[in-house]
Amino acid sequence: MADLTDPIEFELFKNAIFAIADEMAVTICRTTYSGVLRDNMDFSTALADADGKMVAQGLTLPGHLGSIPAALAVVVERFGAEMGPGDMYIMNDPFDGGMHLPDIFIFQPLYADGERIAFAATICHHADVGGRVPGSNASDSTEIYQEGLRIPPLKLFEGGRRNDTLWSLIEVNVRIPVQVKADLRAQLAACHVAEGQFGELVERYGVDKVRLYMREVIDYAERLTRAAVAELPDGEFSFEDWIDDDGIDVDRPIRLFVTVRKQGDSMEVDWTGSSPQVKGAINNTLSFTVAHSVAAIRSVLPPNIPNNEGVFRVIKVIAPPGSIANMVLPGACAARGLTGFRMGDCMFGALAMMLPDRVGAASDGGNTGVSIGGYDAERKPYIYVDFACGTWGGRPWADGLQGNANMFANMASQSVEVIETEQPMQILSYEFVPDRAGPGRYRGGAPYRRDYRFLEKEAVLQVRSDRRKFRPYGLYGGWPGKPSANAMNPEGENRPLASKLTMTIRQGDVFRHELAGGGGWGDPLDRDPAAVLADVRNELVSPGAAADDYGVIVDTADWSVNEAATAARRAELRADRPAEPLKVAWHEPSASEQAAD
Amino acid sequence: MTVEHFRVGADIGGTFTDLVMLGQDGTLHVRKVPSTVDNYEAAVVDGLAGLRAAAGVPSEQVGEVLHGTTVASNAILEHKGARTGLITTRGFRDVLEIRNLRMPRLYDLHWEKPSPLVPRYLRLAVDERIDHQGGVDKPLDPDEVERVVRRLLDEGVETIAVCLINAYVSADHERQIEAAIERLAPELPRCISSEVLPEINEYQRTSTTVINAYVMPIVAGYLRRLDQGLRATGLTSPLLLMQSNGGLISAEVAARKPVNIIESGPAGGVVGAQALAGKLDLPDIITFDMGGTTAKTSLIEGGQFTRSLDYQVGGGIMVGSRLLTGAGYQLKVPAIDLAEVGAGGGSIVWIDPGGSMRIGPHSAGARPGPVCYGMGGEEPTVTDANVILGYLNPDYLVGGELPLQADRGARVFQDRIAGPLDLELARAAHGAHQIAISNMIRAIRAVSSERGRDPREYALFAFGGNGPLFAAGMARALGMRRIVVPPSPGLFSSFGLLYADVEHHYSRSLKRILRDCPPALLNEAWGALEAEARSQLANDGFQPGQLELRRGANMHYKGQIFELSVPAPDGDFDAAKIAELEERFGQEHERTYGHRAGPEEPVELVNIELIGRGLPDRPLMPEQLKLATEAAIAPAAARRAYFGPEAGWLETAVVGRADLDGGRTGPLIVEEYDATCLVPPGATARRDDFGNILIELP
Repeated sequence: MADLTDPIEFELFKNAIFAIADEMAVTICRTTYSGVLRDNMDFSTALADADGKMVAQGLTLPGHLGSIPAALAVVVERFGAEMGPGDMYIMNDPFDGGMHLPDIFIFQPLYADGERIAFAATICHHADVGGRVPGSNASDSTEIYQEGLRIPPLKLFEGGRRNDTLWSLIEVNVRIPVQVKADLRAQLAACHVAEGQFGELVERYGVDKVRLYMREVIDYAERLTRAAVAELPDGEFSFEDWIDDDGIDVDRPIRLFVTVRKQGDSMEVDWTGSSPQVKGAINNTLSFTVAHSVAAIRSVLPPNIPNNEGVFRVIKVIAPPGSIANMVLPGACAARGLTGFRMGDCMFGALAMMLPDRVGAASDGGNTGVSIGGYDAERKPYIYVDFACGTWGGRPWADGLQGNANMFANMASQSVEVIETEQPMQILSYEFVPDRAGPGRYRGGAPYRRDYRFLEKEAVLQVRSDRRKFRPYGLYGGWPGKPSANAMNPEGENRPLASKLTMTIRQGDVFRHELAGGGGWGDPLDRDPAAVLADVRNELVSPGAAADDYGVIVDTADWSVNEAATAARRAELRADRPAEPLKVAWHEPSASEQAAD
Repeated sequence: MTVEHFRVGADIGGTFTDLVMLGQDGTLHVRKVPSTVDNYEAAVVDGLAGLRAAAGVPSEQVGEVLHGTTVASNAILEHKGARTGLITTRGFRDVLEIRNLRMPRLYDLHWEKPSPLVPRYLRLAVDERIDHQGGVDKPLDPDEVERVVRRLLDEGVETIAVCLINAYVSADHERQIEAAIERLAPELPRCISSEVLPEINEYQRTSTTVINAYVMPIVAGYLRRLDQGLRATGLTSPLLLMQSNGGLISAEVAARKPVNIIESGPAGGVVGAQALAGKLDLPDIITFDMGGTTAKTSLIEGGQFTRSLDYQVGGGIMVGSRLLTGAGYQLKVPAIDLAEVGAGGGSIVWIDPGGSMRIGPHSAGARPGPVCYGMGGEEPTVTDANVILGYLNPDYLVGGELPLQADRGARVFQDRIAGPLDLELARAAHGAHQIAISNMIRAIRAVSSERGRDPREYALFAFGGNGPLFAAGMARALGMRRIVVPPSPGLFSSFGLLYADVEHHYSRSLKRILRDCPPALLNEAWGALEAEARSQLANDGFQPGQLELRRGANMHYKGQIFELSVPAPDGDFDAAKIAELEERFGQEHERTYGHRAGPEEPVELVNIELIGRGLPDRPLMPEQLKLATEAAIAPAAARRAYFGPEAGWLETAVVGRADLDGGRTGPLIVEEYDATCLVPPGATARRDDFGNILIELP
C-alpha cells in the first residue's frame, strides 16, 4: 500500500467508486426501453482515470470485459488535447476501437477545477443500427459495409451542446429510432449520474486524493490478480477446437487455437494458430477476444478481484491481425457472439490442461439463434428472435449445469405463454432430451429442445447453430456431448436440417431445435451408481444407456442398482479402456470418426 | 369492548421469539424468549402464557393474536417441505427446473442452481393443450389423467400441484385434474395454478403453485398445533397471520394459501414503522432493520410502503446489486419491497489478500458469535469493534444476561486487524464501523436512488438489535437529517404486527392493448375479483361498511418485458376512465424511469389486481405508548467512546430513554433492554409521546 493512503479511507473510496459504476448500470437498466438491455443485460458501465485507464467496471456482461479500455484509448488519443467540460463522445466502429456495430459507446470526461480527472464510460447493445436485416445481427453478411451504420469516435456533445447533425444522421439510419434514441438517452443519463456522484467524491476527498486512490484501486486489483496468478502452475498450455463452419463456406471448419503461457505472476494468452478471418459475420475484434480470454481466466481466480486496468496489466492477450481473433477490414462481425462463446470453451480447454481439477468440459457452445419473420394477413411485418442455450460441461466436482445460461452471456429466456400472445406461433416443447448429455464421472448437462409451430401463412426461418460436426468435448476420460440437431416436423416427416439455414416455412410447420449436450468429465465407469440410478429414474438417461455407457444395471421395478451385475458389467467395459484416460475426447471410446458426425 | 383489552404480536425468528402485548391505554409488555426450533409453536404458547402471568392479564382480555413466522420460508430453505408431485402439459415437464436460465453470479464455475422442489420423476405430463385465447387445441384424456394421478399416489406424494400451459386463460383442464385427484385421494392437499396465480408466464406460475403445495401441509400442521396450544391456555381470540405483503389473513386462509406468508417475518417491522411514522406526520421514511447477520431496508412514501410484484425465496443477500437474479425460488406474489445486505453485528471483519479491510458477508451468527461473547468465537466482528469503540457496554450484553469479555475481543481485533494494517486499535475499529455503514448504504440506495428517489428527502426509521447503533452513521453518510428510533427497537418486528389490517390480494391476467379494451370486459373482470374479496372479508367477520377495495393494474408499453403497477380508477369503466388509466401509467413510467413514450406507443394491460382490506372498528394505535416496566438496567453514568480521528475519544453520557424527555445533545449512548442507540456529537435527541427517540443531525 502506498505511503500516503489511509487503509480505511481507501476501502471507503473503493466502495464508493464501484457503487458509482453500479449505479450507472442500474440507471441504464432503469431508463432503457429495450428488453435486450434489461433481460440480457447486454451493456456495461465504468469509470476510468484521466488517461482512460479503467478504474472500476460496473456489473457487466463478461463479453464486454476489456471493451471499454480499447475504445477509450482511441478517444483519448484522438481528442485528448482538445477535450473540455460538457463534451461527450460516441462511437461503434469495430475498426476504430469498437466491438461490433450494435454496441454503441458513450464517454464523458469528468472535470474538477477545470482539470480532467476521470471518464464516465458506457456501452450498450442497441436493438438496431441499420444494415441488411432488422436487428443488425445477420450472420451471413460478408463485409462490414453490409452491417449497418459505422460511427467513428465523434463528439456527440461539445461544451454541453448536442451535435444535432450527428444525432439526425443516426436517427435516419436505424429502423426503430424511438428505441435507439431512448437507449442512447439511457447512456447519457448514466454518465450524468456518474458526473454528479463523482463530483461528490471529489468534494469529500479532494482532487489529489481522488487521483491517488484511483491509481491505488488499479494497483490493488493488480496485486490481487498477481497474487492469484502466482498460485497457478507455470508452463505453456495449448488447446484446439473447431467451429463447424461460417455458414458461407459450409464445408470449411474454422480452427480455434490458443496457448496460455504462465510464468511467475503474469500470463499471456496467444491465439496464434487460429483460422484466418472468414467471410461470414463471426469475426472478432481483438477487444472481444480479450474479453473472452480474460473472462475465462477470471473464473479460475478467486472472486472479488475488481474489474479494472490492474487485471489487464497481468493478463496479456495477443492474436495475429487478419485472424478470426483479430479481424481487419472489411471483416464482418455482427454475429461474432458464436466465436466468442467458442473461444470461451477453447480457453477452458487450455485452462483444464493447466488445472485439471478446476475446470469443466465443453458447454453446448453458446447461443443458437432462431429467427422467424414475415408479414401477417394485414401485411404488417413481424419478427421473432429467440436465443437458446443452457448446458454446461461436467465439472471435476459436479455434473454440468442444465437449463442455465452460458457463462459468457447471462441471458434470461422468454416466457412461452408471452410468446404465444405476441407471435403467430406456438411452442410445443421446451424440455430436456434424454441420452444427449456427455457421459462422465460427472456428466454434462442435459440439453433441451424447443419445438416451434408456425401459425401464419408463410415466413422465413433463419437458424444459426453449431456444435454439429465438432461436438462438445469431454475431459479426462469423460465423453463428448451429443451434437445439436435441427428437424422439420419431428412428429411427421422428421426431416433433418443443416446447422445454419435460411428457408421458407408454412402454416402448421413445426421446427425443432435440440441443443448439443454438455461434455462429460472423468470416466463414466467411475460415476456413483446412485447418481446413475437417479438419472434413470428422472428419465434423463435410459436403462440401456446406463448399462452401455456407465456400466450400471438398474432394476426399474424397485428403483435399485443391481450391484453384482453392475460390478461385472463395469469390469467387462473397463477391460477395453486405455490405461491412461484421454485428456480430451471428441468421440465415445469405441466410436469411429464417422459415427461422431 | 372493555378497557382491559390487549392485542398480542408474536414474531418468530431463527434465534429468538419476540412477544409484545399492547393494552388499549398504550401500555406495552414485551418479552424475548429463545425460539424452539423443533416445534416453533411452543415458544409462542409458553412465552405468551409467561408474559400474561407477569402482566396479570387473564386470557379473556386478549382480543387477538397476530403472528409473523418463518416456518414457511424455513421449510423451503431447508428443503423440508412435503413430498410434492407436479402435473403439467406434455412438452413442459422441465419448466420448473429450467427456470428463466439466468444465474446470479458471473465468473463462477462453482455455481449450482437451487435444486427443484419437485424432482423430475415426480413431474408428470398430460397430453393436452389450451391455446392462448382459451380454446382447446387438444382435449384432456380422463384415462391418462387417472393414470398420472395414480402414479404420483403410488410414489407416495403428500401433495400435488397442477400447472398447465395457458391455464391462466382457461382453468377447465386444471379443474378436471383437480376433480380426479379429489376422487382418487380426497384427503390429499392439492392446488391448481389457475387458483393460486391466474397470471401469464408459465415459469412464475408453476414455481408459485409448487411452493404453495410444497409448504401447505407443513404450514397447516403448524397453525393447527399453534391454535390448539393457545386454546389449551384458555385463549379464545382469533389467530391472524402476517403476509409478505404487509396485510393480515386468518390462520384458515393462510393454511390454504401459505404462499402469501413466506416472507412474513420482516414485514411486521415495516408495517409498524408505517403506522408510527404516520402518527409523527412523517409520510416519507426509509426503514433500516439491522440485526445480527443482515440489514434490511425499505421505502415508505406518502405513508404507503412499496411492494414488489415478485421476489425469490432464499435468493440470499444482495451482492452489490439487485440486477443479478436467479439465486432462489421464484414467487410471483406481492411482497413488501425489501433490500437486504449481509451486514450485522456478527459480520466478520477481515483483511483480503490485496490488503483491504472487509466486512462480511460471513457472519459469526448467534453462535459462536463475536469474540467478546466468549462462546468460542475467534473471528473479529462488527460487535467487537463497537465494544472497542465504547459504543456497547463492555461489561455485559444489554439485557444483562451475558457477561462480555471485552479484553478478549480487543486483543483479537488488535492481532488480526489493527496490527496488520498498522493502525491504532480505535482507528481500526472505527474503520470497521464506517465500512459496515458503506456496505449497508447499498441497500438503501437499492430502494431509493436506484428508483429515482433521493434519500435526503426521507427520515431514517431504525430498529432491530443493531439499527439504532448505526442509524446516525448511515444517515450522515446519505445526507439524511432525521432519525426515528421506536420503542423496543429490538422487538419491533413483533410490535409492528399490531398495526396491520386484514388484507387479501387478487390478480388475473388480462393481456390487452388498453385503449382497445372494451370497458365491459374490464368491469366484468374487476367485478369478479371484487365479489371474491367481499365474500372473503365477510367470512373474516367484516361488515359491508368496513371494506376497502382498491384496484391496481400491471401494464407496460407494448414490447416491453417488465410491468409497472399503478392504481386504477374505481367504478364503472368507460373510455374516459381507460384514458385516465393510460395517463396514470405514463406518469408512473416517467417517475420511475425518467421518461415516457408518446401517444404513438400503445400501453398494454397485463394483469389486473385488487386489494380487499377489512377496516378495524376502532383505531389500532393508542394516543401514547409506555413500556410497562422500564428496563432494569442501571446504566453507568458515562464512559469514553471514540468518534473518529478528528473528534477522538470523548466522555459520553450513558442514559436511558426516559432521560431524553427534555432533549439532549450528543455524544450520548442510550442503553436499553434490547438495543443500544448512539447519538453522535452535535446531534440532538429527545423522546416523544409515543416513546420514540427522535434524533436530528447537525
